[in-house]
Amino acid sequence: MALDVELAEIRDFLAGYPPFDDLPPGALGPVVRRLSVEYFRRGTVIMAPGRDNTRLYVVRSGAVEIRDAVGALVDRGDAGTSFGATTLLRGNPSTLSVVALEDTLALVMDADTFAELCTSYPVFDEFFDAQRAERMAGALAAQQASVSGSAILKTRMRDLLRVPPVTVALDVSIREAAAEMSARGVSALLVMDGERLAGIVTDRDLRNRVLAAGRDPGEAVAEVMTRDPVTARADGLAFEALLEMVARNIHHLPLLAGEQVVGVVTTTDLMRLEQANPVYLAGDIAKQADSAGVAAAAARLPQVVESLVAQDASAADMGRIVTSVGDAVERRLIALAHERLGPAPVPYCWVTLGSRARLEQALAADQDNALIIDDSAGPDDLRYFEQLAELVTGDLVEAGYPRCAGGVMATNAQWRLRLRQWHAVFHEWLSAPVPDAILRASIFFDMRPVAGDVRLHGELSGMVREQAPTSARFLSHLAGAAVAGSPPIGFFRGFVVEKEGDHKDTLDIKRGGIGAVVDLARVHALALGVGATNTDDRLAAALAAGVMDAGRGADLRDAFEFISYVRLRHQAAAVRAGLPPDNHVRPDELSSFDKRHLREAFAIVRSAQSTLGAVYGTGKLG
Amino acid sequence: MRLPGPFGREAAERRGLARLAAAASAGPAREYAVTGLPAESTPAGELRLLAVDIETTGLDARVDQILSLGFVPVDGYGVQLAGARHIHVRPREGHAGVGASAAIHGLTDDQVAGGIAPAEALDLLFEALTGRVLLAHYAAIEVGFLGALCRAAYGCDLPVRTVDTLELGRRQLPAHREPAPGALRLWSLRTRFGLPVYAAHNALLDALACAELYLAQVAELESASATAVTLGALAR
Repeated sequence: MALDVELAEIRDFLAGYPPFDDLPPGALGPVVRRLSVEYFRRGTVIMAPGRDNTRLYVVRSGAVEIRDAVGALVDRGDAGTSFGATTLLRGNPSTLSVVALEDTLALVMDADTFAELCTSYPVFDEFFDAQRAERMAGALAAQQASVSGSAILKTRMRDLLRVPPVTVALDVSIREAAAEMSARGVSALLVMDGERLAGIVTDRDLRNRVLAAGRDPGEAVAEVMTRDPVTARADGLAFEALLEMVARNIHHLPLLAGEQVVGVVTTTDLMRLEQANPVYLAGDIAKQADSAGVAAAAARLPQVVESLVAQDASAADMGRIVTSVGDAVERRLIALAHERLGPAPVPYCWVTLGSRARLEQALAADQDNALIIDDSAGPDDLRYFEQLAELVTGDLVEAGYPRCAGGVMATNAQWRLRLRQWHAVFHEWLSAPVPDAILRASIFFDMRPVAGDVRLHGELSGMVREQAPTSARFLSHLAGAAVAGSPPIGFFRGFVVEKEGDHKDTLDIKRGGIGAVVDLARVHALALGVGATNTDDRLAAALAAGVMDAGRGADLRDAFEFISYVRLRHQAAAVRAGLPPDNHVRPDELSSFDKRHLREAFAIVRSAQSTLGAVYGTGKLG
Repeated sequence: MRLPGPFGREAAERRGLARLAAAASAGPAREYAVTGLPAESTPAGELRLLAVDIETTGLDARVDQILSLGFVPVDGYGVQLAGARHIHVRPREGHAGVGASAAIHGLTDDQVAGGIAPAEALDLLFEALTGRVLLAHYAAIEVGFLGALCRAAYGCDLPVRTVDTLELGRRQLPAHREPAPGALRLWSLRTRFGLPVYAAHNALLDALACAELYLAQVAELESASATAVTLGALAR
């Protein structure tokens, strides 16, 4: 009865991971017989800051996440990851937290065995000493990233507000207003018409519009204020506020929660948050004097994404950032086109479609755009917009946004229409849907104004919001299209890779994964008459309306975030390797942790598809 | 159905233990009998079990033979590898040997010939099982074969409490639906809990696999229950 031979399975497992792989072959057998095996359900807190730990854990299967006392991510690991040595080497209590990310089976070693191994094998001791140093340093670096790199990406504007807004009524004099500003120590004052925000007055206005202009300080403040100032939503990201302010060259931004003014954010508030971040890229783009300059600045975008991935920003935040930079490029190129062509002869709205309209743009995105032109436009006016479209789309190609293969661009006369014509096009899609046409048209239901007169877009989207919920056949075709593409996962949950062509042996993570969720969310939003274009917002609306089961909806939102994150990380890796970013992920570039989660995410998408298929009777199999 | 008083399960176990104590004047069997079994109210966190698996020449406890016996103790929420044993058992004189069953367990005649006598193996088991509950996947097989050994050695049944991971697995599947074929196998249930796949199979590894599955099942039961899960609930 050679006893230790029988636990060879566990011995061989340990021998595959450091530091056990450095122990002499004969040493592991006796070690195995001193271990115990424990199981932790997903979410179990195995170690916590302030709590004592006296054991070393080695993950046998599953995965854990290690964070420091303030919650910054230190490490994530699956099979072979060890933890617990920090307190064994440096004493209790623990400064780290360890949580099971998945159901986890662990091999557990007591403190005596650990101490004996450290004494007998210096290589064992050195490994854990280095691991401890690294985890501490990693925690620190993560913290630094959270205060410098990603703070502005994660902070909501309302979190920046320190004092309630300082306001005066419309009819007070300039002198009274100035006295109020001095007394309250603020550089901007909100002027209220009852409950409504009527205007804003700043230090600079008092200098330029009152003193320098020789105005009587006894006049009403309403005479010198900026009327109907630009505002922002209080729950928006600080990043979005900063972009808005840089783009418009303003320094104060009133924040609204619903209709109510809740405060003012200043550029100083934001600069304090952040020194080096992608917002300056957007700022640089807005300052470029020609399209070549815009293209050169836009070329920095892949590096920005790479650094965001390194800072562990969420896919949702990265999507917004890549979108904002894309918007900045498009706005600047449109402004430059106006410099060459002169101002537009009639009002128009330049809209973006697809992923950028949804605030979900990744790298390697085509341009998708269209023009809504005021109904008063005559034939000469229309020629102006043709030239505008040619100029802007050409410059967009130069700036790294290739032409849309499907021709969904403002250069295509079919998508450069007067508002009335757009109404007719959408009416036809909604009331007399043809399946193939609906498949091609779905991108037009993700539309967001980028430049020009937003009211033109507002009228069109209002009509869609109103008609879509009652357009049963249209919704049914759209749902059919949404469940037509399957996630790249087989019946037995193996990945299904491309079998031939340039992308052989890769997963198309965009078409079957991200695209499938986007399509599902669009059906729900249109059926509910919700104007949101962002996929997560649409899913949240479907959840709130109860058309989606709460548990499944939450799973689908997580799955979408995870698949999107894997895509952006894949693209960041390509950028780092000097390759063009794409959407084709090789399964072997994924860790076993990611593979498991990706399979899980795809399975959730597939199940959501069959639920939607059942609701709309599209009869999706499997 | 659970009967109270002298007809209840605990009373029947007490009588069985008394018979074994009377039959074994000394040694591990007597020690096992006089120590008694864990109380029904013992919470899972304090429960001591012994995960057991056997390899046999067939499925009929009356004619087939145990070829190997593997076990590993579970104390509360931890499997104690220090107590892991793998024992080759020598078949009775005149038995046909490993035969065709070798295809299933991979044991050879030479290996089992180097093993110990069945009665000795039973005593090793009693030693390890003292004060513990027998844990197995489809425990009827283990109880049947070990009971036959006990009758041969001591002339009485094997008094034992069992927790069966197959039974726990059945309870955790939807009640209204017949489980898919194979869904309740040890390795299928393990996959459900994300437990690792073992490259090799033998009585000890299967006992360990069963013990790990038990930890996962208890964790799931406890997460779904407001009160502590007791032996009474696990062995129901």
